[in-house]
Amino acid sequence: MSFLRKGRCAAAGSPPAHPLRVIRLGLWLLRRERASGEWRVLLLALIIGVGSVATTGFLGDRLKRAMSEQGASFLGADLLVTSPRPIETWPGLFTGGSAPGGGALATSQALEFSSMVTRGEVFQLATLRAVDAAYPLRGAVRIAPRPFAAGTPRPAQPPPGAIYVEPSLLPLLSASVGDQVQIGEAHFRIAGVVAEEPGQLGGVFGLAPRVFMRADEVGRTGVLQPGSRVTYLYQFAGEPGQLAAFGAALKPRLDSTQRLIGSREGVETLRGAFANADRYIQLTALISLLLSVAAIAVAAHHHALRHYDQAALLRCLGATAAQLRSLYAVQLLALGLLGSVLGVAVGALMQQALALLILPEAATRLPALGLAPVGAAVASGLLALAGASLPALMRLIRVPPLRVLRRELPPLPVAAWASAAVSGSALLFLIAWYAGDARLVGGFVGALAALAAVLILLARLALLAGHGVQRMAHGPLRFGLAQLLRHRFDSTLQLGAFTLALFLVALLALVRSDLVAGWHQQLPPQTPNYFLVNIAPQQQQAVAAYLSQHRLQASALYPMVRGRLVSKNGVPIADTLPEGTRDSNTLRRELNLTWTATLPANNAVLAGRWHGQRPAAEISVESGMAERLQLAVGDLLGFQVGDQTLAARITSLRSVKWDSMQPNFFVIFAPGQLDALPASAIASVYVPPDATRVLPGFVKTFPGITVLALDKLIANIEAVFAQIIGAIQLLLGFLLAAGIAVVVATLLASLDARRQEAVLLRTLGAQRAYLARGLWSEFLALGLLAGLIASACAEIAMALIGERLFDLPLRLHPWLWLALPLAGALLVGTSGWLTTRHITRVPPMQSIRTLN
Amino acid sequence: MTSPAHARFPAESSRSLQLPGVVSARALSQHVATADGRLTILDDVGLAVKAGETLAITGASGSGKSTLLGLLAGLDQPSAGEVFLLGQRLNDLDEDARARLRAGRVGFVFQSFQLLPALTALENILLPLELAGHPAARERAAYWLDRVGLAARAAHTPRQLSGGEQQRVAIARAFATDPEIVFADEPTGNLDADTGARIIELLFELNASAATTLILVTHDDALAARCQRRLHLHAGRIA
Repeated sequence: MSFLRKGRCAAAGSPPAHPLRVIRLGLWLLRRERASGEWRVLLLALIIGVGSVATTGFLGDRLKRAMSEQGASFLGADLLVTSPRPIETWPGLFTGGSAPGGGALATSQALEFSSMVTRGEVFQLATLRAVDAAYPLRGAVRIAPRPFAAGTPRPAQPPPGAIYVEPSLLPLLSASVGDQVQIGEAHFRIAGVVAEEPGQLGGVFGLAPRVFMRADEVGRTGVLQPGSRVTYLYQFAGEPGQLAAFGAALKPRLDSTQRLIGSREGVETLRGAFANADRYIQLTALISLLLSVAAIAVAAHHHALRHYDQAALLRCLGATAAQLRSLYAVQLLALGLLGSVLGVAVGALMQQALALLILPEAATRLPALGLAPVGAAVASGLLALAGASLPALMRLIRVPPLRVLRRELPPLPVAAWASAAVSGSALLFLIAWYAGDARLVGGFVGALAALAAVLILLARLALLAGHGVQRMAHGPLRFGLAQLLRHRFDSTLQLGAFTLALFLVALLALVRSDLVAGWHQQLPPQTPNYFLVNIAPQQQQAVAAYLSQHRLQASALYPMVRGRLVSKNGVPIADTLPEGTRDSNTLRRELNLTWTATLPANNAVLAGRWHGQRPAAEISVESGMAERLQLAVGDLLGFQVGDQTLAARITSLRSVKWDSMQPNFFVIFAPGQLDALPASAIASVYVPPDATRVLPGFVKTFPGITVLALDKLIANIEAVFAQIIGAIQLLLGFLLAAGIAVVVATLLASLDARRQEAVLLRTLGAQRAYLARGLWSEFLALGLLAGLIASACAEIAMALIGERLFDLPLRLHPWLWLALPLAGALLVGTSGWLTTRHITRVPPMQSIRTLN
Repeated sequence: MTSPAHARFPAESSRSLQLPGVVSARALSQHVATADGRLTILDDVGLAVKAGETLAITGASGSGKSTLLGLLAGLDQPSAGEVFLLGQRLNDLDEDARARLRAGRVGFVFQSFQLLPALTALENILLPLELAGHPAARERAAYWLDRVGLAARAAHTPRQLSGGEQQRVAIARAFATDPEIVFADEPTGNLDADTGARIIELLFELNASAATTLILVTHDDALAARCQRRLHLHAGRIA
């Protein structure tokens, strides 16, 4: 009894529940309840959501760091100037002022252009970089004796008569190091492969593998013609002060087609472009997190409902509201941290898979996992959890203690605006964080809300239709459908969430099949499949003769000069445009200008009159370009071609069918204006599958002409698309998992009621098989419905995308209507059955006791 | 939460001088608004209970017994009148202050046991001890589990216990913090006659040995007869 006395004194004298003790109590209660269904679902949903954002976060971070860690070596120089024309004069830093050769800055010059590399009967388009001995000024080029060897740092300039090639070129030419190849009219020996070069992460978009050659051997190839597309690269390295002064002096001299890139700026530009792409991918991942939020909210709400009694008891035993708040907040925080950390672990595994998918060659060279995304992912997880479960928590701590005596007492109501504000602001903050700018946030939230509204509406309509079916049905099917209709809120949520997941998966599949593969198939037969580029004036007749001799259908030969649009009606073109549109791509690059008297096939005049044979200073402009640059018939445009300036008036606007695979032009001059300028010609040709042997002969006859295989180009683009789509599909796996989590969470929330019903039915004589069939019909119906709605949404979305963006005819996809409902039924059916099956197994007697 | 007890409960040291008894009520009324107008549940009830006393509140269903118990324990606020619990005028205290007053000093036994299903028998007893910050809480809980004869069932969850065993655990939980007063709401209401009788035995035995004030609500005459005093409610008034 002395024990008791002591205890009483202690109790009366000591303050109740130290904060640490409340935390301990919270964690202790959490541990005791760890087996409960809600916690598991909540944790699982959190792992899925955080895993999704962590995957993209980790990979994005690794790529970003790969870029910035390369620093100056990224450009291969401290300063890089690119230009479509040679730059003759440089700021006074250079003595003599004629070429970058003197002064205190180290310099290097290179040329980059595309051409054919031929070995025997095989030819391949390549990007040639012709470099001098100083290249690169910063960073290193590693040359290896065979593909995938480590290589040794060496100058990029090969010995005379030799070239270095990117490893991917070798299999394309069936060649190996030491073999002879032909570029234009000259022969070269492959002296090694490029294992690493500045600024290259790997050949993601390697449509034309890179070849290094000597700048002094370009002439020998005879490839470069007037009008050929060439990029001149000027590299500089030196003291920061000198570079800054040089850059400042040079900048005003450059036109819009020439660019000055500092090492920092170079990385920033690339990182900027990357950041945009990264942002959209992150937002895709965020959708999974938001869907997980729905599952978490359902689980948290149900958890709160089941814990009203516990909260009331704790209040009754002396816990204050603040203590209850701490107790449940600690539980939530613990779960949040656990789920986020596990999610981060999942993300760390998945990002490697993603890296291997999109950067198969560079994945191993990326920097190790960073810590920054861990913080971001954990914070996202906690924020999502807070947004999803705070309303439930707020109700839980407002349970009146009197509930211990009167079980029916509900918690004091929390103002709807308060809980909406809490979760709304948490989720909005999350979206704003990922989207970055207000417009994107608005767009994302708007699109999501619209999609949710449409899905809810469709789900309701589908359930309404289910009513009709239910009336006709009988037995377990009727019972199952009744369940579906009775829990209308749950059903709508499950249907909406799962439909969203299926819809996005299906849409991506359609984009892949229709836009990428489908486009290829839809081309009419005998559409040109090769482009002949870089045809010198003196070759034109011979080329035409060769083609007709081999009975190949070719387009007309279009002469081409390269020029820049500089003015409209005497005013610099940029000044005529609104602020935001001045950076148009059309102004930043040189345009291919041609002249002809005949309106090309697949072109149609929309406004004005085709100039025909009139030898006046007239041009026809493509209507899209006219719209972008606010041009109209009657405007006088000024062009800079080489060092000449010429002006011409717009007399017609044309539509162009860009996918016709013909040479297409933005600007077509009337004959007589450009004839005096040096020009090379372009043509397209259809080579039937049985005549492909003609081409090696053509390449041999005309080694300087670039033969672009459109099939190969398209196949390459398809492969790149497939990589990207594969990566997004991996992310959509998270989305499907989150959709299943929503279904499971809502089912768990209704489990008590279902168990009660099942017990009643069992008591009334229903067999176990009857209950099982009822459950199966409910979940299969739910999955089928989700699949059907998703099919409809995907068809509509695809039709809109095809029609609005790509001018494709409407096409239905019967396989989709079969595959999606089946997939939905399978996934929802299985997960639903696994969640609820045990209610058919509980003996009625035991169940009744449990319910009491 | 960390301030000394006397700062929060200034009347504590003089509670026995200031007011008669551990629990008292004066002119207590409770009304609720319904669709048909104001419903009176309790009307002008007054009582005082001395330390160590046992009181039975009896009456038919709906006579206001449980409402009175809730008001006396500070689980609810009266519409009119005053309640004093452990020397404090409850009307002056908000929900949290009343909770703080209850912590460790008031025990409860409910008709439906109100054990937490996820916790074992021992842990259910541990809960109020942890909440009140008791030293040697686990030993105390084990001691009390033994006192109610369930030492062997320490690791069993409520689901694995019979109704009578669950109520024993609940009684142990009520007495474990060595409270000054225990409120019991129909403690035998969910039990058969035999089990109920044994529970009554246990309740009074523990109450006597701990010298606790006991206020219980019941419509079981046998149980009411065991109490020193009996208060019969009829339609919200003391009959």
